[in-house]
Amino acid sequence: MKNKPNKVKESAADYAAKIFKAKKDFHKEQAKLPIEEKIKILIELQKIVLKTQKQKPGEGLRQVWKI
Amino acid sequence: MKKTLQIIDRMHKEGLFKKYAIGGGIASLFYIEPIATFDLDIFVILPESEEVLLSLSPLYDWLSEKKYKLVKEHIIIEGIPVQFIPVYNELVIEAVLKAVRKKYEGISTFVLKPEYLMAIMLDTNRAKDRERIIKMLDEAEISAALLKTILNAHGLIKAYNNFRKKFHEK
Repeated sequence: MKNKPNKVKESAADYAAKIFKAKKDFHKEQAKLPIEEKIKILIELQKIVLKTQKQKPGEGLRQVWKI
Repeated sequence: MKKTLQIIDRMHKEGLFKKYAIGGGIASLFYIEPIATFDLDIFVILPESEEVLLSLSPLYDWLSEKKYKLVKEHIIIEGIPVQFIPVYNELVIEAVLKAVRKKYEGISTFVLKPEYLMAIMLDTNRAKDRERIIKMLDEAEISAALLKTILNAHGLIKAYNNFRKKFHEK
């Protein structure tokens, strides 16, 4: 009789927990970026928001920074 | 942004305000990952005047002389919509007085400390403030002792504990 490989099955909950932890770590790493890099990302985010989201009533001025 | 910060610093040096600090979403950006925001909020302590009502007119006059345009409640300084917000309560005054120096492309500026930002967001308590508090708790390096001192001094500790229970319990 052949020995079956000793596989450790991860439960779905463990797997999800691993993904959430990886995401959290990614956000923490992003938080450590230099402010100059963050501003570049901010400008890309502004472009995406203007393309994809309608302005809500009472919301202030929305324009991509011209820097 | 570099040019915008240079103009704001010049306004400070020319005495248009006694002290200033970046607040709002852009201040958060110094501590957490990038979030979408469109304006640069500058909290200002205005010079004392004999008038009862504080006026931002000298700031706007100075900027319009330099051809910067007013759009809605913002003034566009070197491509960035800027909002000048006079300090409006004891918490915000203290936050501006204790703001820290930060550099952007070699330009020195003042930014609110993360603990004060959190206290102001907790006090303002809009949906976007609550989202940002959660991000600050997850991503920023916060001094728990300083945060507690600020929250106690400004009567926000109960609101903070409720917030943690509701939105950020481990």
